[in-house]
Amino acid sequence: MTMFHFFNCAILTFGPHAVYYSATPLSEYDTLGTSVKAALVYLGTALVKLVCLATVLKVSENDGFDPYQELLKAVIGFIDVAGLYFALTQLIHRNISQNHKFQAVGLGWAFADSVLHRLAPLWVGARGLEFTWDFILQGLEANANLVLSISLAALGSLMWLRKNKPKTLIPIIYTCAGIVATMPSITSYLRRGLGWDFPKVVVFELFTSLSMAFISWQLFSACQRPS
Amino acid sequence: MANSKKPGGLREMLESMYSVIALLFILVACVELCDAAAAFDVYRLIQYDRSGSPFGSRFAALNHHAASLHFPPGVDLSRTVLIIPLRELNITFVREYINQKKPLGGFLVLLPEVLSFKTGGNNQVHEKEKMKNLLAELERLLIHSNIPYPVYFAFENDEIDTVLADIKKNDLMGQPATATTGGYKFVIPTAEPKKVASPTMTNIQGWLSGLKTDGDANQLPTIAIVASYDTFGAAPALSVGSDSNGSGIVALLEISRLFSLLYSNPKTRGRYNLLFGLTSGGPYNYNGTQKWLRSFDQRLRESIDYAICLNSIGSWDNELWIHVSKPPENAYIKQIFEGLSNVAEELDLKVGLKHKKINISNPRVAWEHEQFSRLRVTAATLSELSVTPELLESTGGLFDTRQYVNETAIVRGVKLVAESLARHIYGHQGKNIQIFADESSLAVNPAYIRSWLDVLSQTPRVAPFLSKDDPFVMALKKELAGHVDQVNVQHETLEGIFTFYDSTSARLNIYQVASVTFDLLLLLVLGSYLIVLFSFLVITTRGLDDLISLFRRPPSRKLKTA
Repeated sequence: MTMFHFFNCAILTFGPHAVYYSATPLSEYDTLGTSVKAALVYLGTALVKLVCLATVLKVSENDGFDPYQELLKAVIGFIDVAGLYFALTQLIHRNISQNHKFQAVGLGWAFADSVLHRLAPLWVGARGLEFTWDFILQGLEANANLVLSISLAALGSLMWLRKNKPKTLIPIIYTCAGIVATMPSITSYLRRGLGWDFPKVVVFELFTSLSMAFISWQLFSACQRPS
Repeated sequence: MANSKKPGGLREMLESMYSVIALLFILVACVELCDAAAAFDVYRLIQYDRSGSPFGSRFAALNHHAASLHFPPGVDLSRTVLIIPLRELNITFVREYINQKKPLGGFLVLLPEVLSFKTGGNNQVHEKEKMKNLLAELERLLIHSNIPYPVYFAFENDEIDTVLADIKKNDLMGQPATATTGGYKFVIPTAEPKKVASPTMTNIQGWLSGLKTDGDANQLPTIAIVASYDTFGAAPALSVGSDSNGSGIVALLEISRLFSLLYSNPKTRGRYNLLFGLTSGGPYNYNGTQKWLRSFDQRLRESIDYAICLNSIGSWDNELWIHVSKPPENAYIKQIFEGLSNVAEELDLKVGLKHKKINISNPRVAWEHEQFSRLRVTAATLSELSVTPELLESTGGLFDTRQYVNETAIVRGVKLVAESLARHIYGHQGKNIQIFADESSLAVNPAYIRSWLDVLSQTPRVAPFLSKDDPFVMALKKELAGHVDQVNVQHETLEGIFTFYDSTSARLNIYQVASVTFDLLLLLVLGSYLIVLFSFLVITTRGLDDLISLFRRPPSRKLKTA
C-alpha cells in the first residue's frame, strides 16, 4: 500500500513533464537532446550555487527570516538565470525553432529541479507506513515549478534570442523575468517570515505560476506578431 | 512517416526516463523506512511455563490497527490492538475476554505516569488503595491465564494521550481502523520469544566473625539474617518490588552496616558469628534459599542459633508479624518472640506471632523460614503481611513502586531487629539499654536507607533475566563486602517447575496510515488530471484535429494499405 502511495506521488511529481513532452510538438521534433543538455546545465548551476551558499551564508539557530541572509540568497538565485542564459544561448542546438527551444530547455530545467529536490524525500518518506499530505503538496509544487521554468525560459529567449522586440514591451519583459527569477526567495519569505503553512504556499505558487505563464504567453505572442 | 516516428519518439523518451528512474531506485535501494509518528517503550507481560502448562502472553510481535474501548459492538477484533488506560479498565471485561478466549490482536494497558520509575519520580499517587487493588487484581488475572496474543504495558504521556483521544473519536464515529479505512497502526518489531536457556540464581552471603577467645574449643554460635532480593511480576521489566522485597534488602544492608561498626572494635565484638544472606529464587518457593542451605557444612548448620528472615517491612503502620513454623511453646521461639516484643514495646509498636505448620510433602514454601525449618534450624520471618501469600503473590508486582513504601517504617523495623539481636548477643535481655540510640554514632541512618531504596526502586530484579555477572548483583555484593569480613557468591540454576521466555521490553511504533481506498481515489484523480493535461496541451499546441487523429490512427493506416 505504501509503495502505491509512492507511485501516486511520483506520477504527480514527474508525470506532467512526460505528458508535456509527449503532448506538444516537442516529441515530433525529437528535442530530447536539448532537454537533457538543459538538465545537465541545471546540475552545474546547482553545484555552483551550493558552493556560493556555503561560503557566503552562516547557519542560523532559529528558523526565522533574516532579511540580509535572504537578500544574499536572492542574489545567488540569479546564478540560476545565468545558467538558463547559458543553456539558451551558448549550447549548440540542432535546427529547432525558437518556439520549441525555450520549451525544451524549460522542460529539462524543471525536470532536473524536480529530480534533485523532490525524488530523494519521496523515496525515503512516501514508502513508509506513516501518511502525510506533504508529498502530494510537493507534487503540486513540482507542477507549479514546471510552469514557472517554462515561462522563465520563454522570457529568457525573448530577452536574449529575439533581436527585434517592440520597444514598449522591453521593460515589461524584464520586470516579469525578474519576478519569475526571484520566485524562490518570495516563497521562502512567505514560509518563514510570514509563517504561512505548506498548503497555502503551494496554492500561492500554483496561482502565480499560472498567471506568470499567461503573461509571458501574451508577451511572446505579442513579440511574434511583427515577424 | 511522421506517424511512425511519433510513437517511436515517445517510447524512446519514456524508456530513457524509466531507465534513469530505475538506476536511481537501485542506488537508493538500501534506504530505511522513515520514522513513525511516535515511538514508545512498552513492557511485555511475562511468559512462563509452570510444570509444562503455558501461562502469560505467548506472543511478542505486533502489527495491527488500534482500537479503544469504544469500538462498535460486533466488530471483529482479531486483527486489532485494544488500547485501554488503567483508569477506564474494567476487570470483568478483561476477565470475560480472557476466559471466553475471545479473539484479539493485542492488548495494551496504559499505566499512569506516576508509577513509572523512570519519569514518575516521587509524586504522590491519587487514590492509592483503589489503584493498588485494581493493579493487584489485574496482575493476578494475567499471570495465571494463558493469553494467545501479545499483552503490553506502557506509561501514559502527552503523545500517547493525543493518539488515544484520536482513536476514540474515530471509534465513536463508527469507523474502526482497518486496512480500508485508515487510522492508527501499532507496530512492535521483535523476534519470537525464546526460552531463557539456564536461568541462574545468585545467592550472596556475608560472614561477620565473632570474638573467639582462647579457651573456646567449640565453634561460636551463629545468627543468620536473610532476605531474598529477586522479584516477580506481571511485567518483568517493571518489577522493582520496592516493598517486596526491597525493604528487606535495605534493612539487611543497614543491619550489617551497624554490626560491622560494632564488630570492627575487638572490645565490642560479640561472641556470636553473624551470617547475612541475600538469596534469590524467592518467588519460586524459595528455591535459592534451599540450595544455599543445602550447600552448608553440617557443622555450620548446627551452629546456627536461629535465623531471622526479612520479608516486606516497608509499608506498615504499627504492627509487624513474626511467622514461625515451630509451635509457639518451643523455648527458642519463645526466646525470639520475647526479645522482639520487649524492644517493640519500647519502640511503641506491636509484634504478633503467627504459627503455620509446614507440610513436608507439599512443595509449596510460602515463607523463607520454612526452608530453614525443613533442615531443623530455628527460624522466623518478620513481615508486615499477616496472611500467607499465595504462589507468585506479593513478590513485587505492578503496584509495588517507590510511592508505596514508607522509609520511616523501614527505619523502625531495622531498629527493632538490630536492638533485639544486640541484646541477645551481648546478653542484655530484659535490660533497658539502647545500643542503637538516635543521635549516637550507632544510629540507624535514614539517608542510607533512602538512597538504597531509591536504587532498588529503579532496578527490576526478576531472577531469570539477571545474568551471572549482572551489575546490580555485583553492586549488592560489593556493598555487603564493605560491611562484613568475607563475602561468597553462589550461582545456582533455577530448575524445577518454572521455565521462562525472554523479550520483556520493546519499542512501540505508532503510524498514522491512510486507507487503500484513499490511494485508489488519488490514482483516479491523478490519472484524469494527466489525461486532461495531455488533451489540453495537444489542443493548444497542435489543434483539436490532432487530438482526434490520435484516436483514429489505426483505421487511417488500414485505409492507406487498402
